[in-house]
Amino acid sequence: MSAWTEGSGDAALVEAARDGDRAAFGLLYDRYARMVHGVLLARAPYSDVDDLVQDVFLLALRRLPSLRDPNSFGAWIAAIARNRAHDFHRRSREDVELTEDVCAQEDLSRAAPEADAASALGAIRSLPEAYRETLILRLVEGMTGPEIAARTGLTPGSVRVNLHRGMQQLRETLGYGSG
Amino acid sequence: MSKKDISDYLWDGSGEPDPEIQRLESVLGKLGHRGGRPVFPDAVPTARPWWSGLPFGWPLRIASVAAVLAMVFLWFLVRRPKPGLSTASGWEVARLAGAPRVDTRTIERANGRLAPGQTLVTDSRSRADITVAEIGEIEVEPDTRLRLLQSGAARKQLALDRGVIHAFIWAPPGQFVVDTPSATAVDMGCAYTLQVDDSGAGLLRTTLGWVGFKLDGHEAFIPAGAVCATRPGIGPGTPCFEDASPAFRAALTRFDFGPAGERASSLDTLLDQSRKRDALTLWHLLGRVDTGDRARVYDRLAALVPPPPAVTREGILRRDQSMLDSWWNELGLGDVSLWRTWERSWSASDHKLR
Repeated sequence: MSAWTEGSGDAALVEAARDGDRAAFGLLYDRYARMVHGVLLARAPYSDVDDLVQDVFLLALRRLPSLRDPNSFGAWIAAIARNRAHDFHRRSREDVELTEDVCAQEDLSRAAPEADAASALGAIRSLPEAYRETLILRLVEGMTGPEIAARTGLTPGSVRVNLHRGMQQLRETLGYGSG
Repeated sequence: MSKKDISDYLWDGSGEPDPEIQRLESVLGKLGHRGGRPVFPDAVPTARPWWSGLPFGWPLRIASVAAVLAMVFLWFLVRRPKPGLSTASGWEVARLAGAPRVDTRTIERANGRLAPGQTLVTDSRSRADITVAEIGEIEVEPDTRLRLLQSGAARKQLALDRGVIHAFIWAPPGQFVVDTPSATAVDMGCAYTLQVDDSGAGLLRTTLGWVGFKLDGHEAFIPAGAVCATRPGIGPGTPCFEDASPAFRAALTRFDFGPAGERASSLDTLLDQSRKRDALTLWHLLGRVDTGDRARVYDRLAALVPPPPAVTREGILRRDQSMLDSWWNELGLGDVSLWRTWERSWSASDHKLR
């Protein structure tokens, strides 16, 4: 039976994972998978995100020895995810020019046959990058503002700004009346 | 931003529910992460000690003594301090290809270290990866020369003399700085590529987050998806998004670095070709044109991104900083307070043109 629980700190889990403790890394996955999924969904096609999540965690597992401050695991793996999404687009660009507009118009019908979901996701993706990711973590992944700050390493103040201004712009884009 | 500016429901789901947010949560929640935990490899693939391949037939005591002696010898070769330098503050350098050098020492097998005052050089077939203390990584491309200037708790500083680096930094803004012959790049929490040619001219491309570029009061703020060129004797040019039209980008290069006689026609093209997204460039131009042209830039920028109520035409024409900053916040590229906080620390590291 694993000694690790949901209350175990990131630093202890990282150190254990470095020593080969799969259960410890598994708990890190449980803790950060939503955040990584959201970071990737802000930048990559929906149909590819699940595979990219696994890529990111495998990359993180390989690079774990280079993480000097185990307490910054969240910010570190978020940065890996953003870079992975960028690499994905860079390779895809050789075949198809993936502009922000293309991503915004992504067809989700294969994976989630909801026209509203595709439209809403496209609207979020059309927003400036600073707001896009935070809104996806809040509205798609269901994370609260404090959770977003704790997991990504952003300050609560930055998360507030991104949520508030991002939501303002999203309402305008979607033609909502209130807010 | 105060807590009153954002609804409780948007912040943490408490308080009075917002129907529009609830609808979005209902619609978008279906796209959230659902996957189960994957199966991870049996062991974290850390570097294995070199002695792990010794034959099992050797007497254990002899093998142990040999291993200890070898470890001491290896430590002495790799980690002995240079006179006057402390390796405790050095960064780990891993060889990715070829034979990168730190000063006169070639990194071929075991990882090296780059200490303050030392130089890392890669030839045409070499690449390296630097672990930047606890805050990031740098990939070093072939034909690159860089120097570690300082690695203190509050500031990590490199000098890129030539070549290409890809920096991937997760530190708080302002902690990581790269000098080039024509400008200083200040990381604001991001990933970017920085290249310098043999003439000292540079190009910075931000891939996520953003970077500040500064020299002698001439500054530029480069968000993800944007680039900024620099020239020796001039400093940073004006940033623009990479998806701007070719005509726009060519005009910007002429405006920044071409003959003075071409600036007027270049500005005409910039104003004519600008899209809403090019507001990034136009905002910077407000500080780079004379008063007469500033009115034209203001009018075009206002048509693309209307200024907030507190910003006046007169204020912008006289370059009121608080109004400029407020208008920047309307561009949706991030809150200006982020780099104004760190700008004060830049003044201590201002460099003169070389």
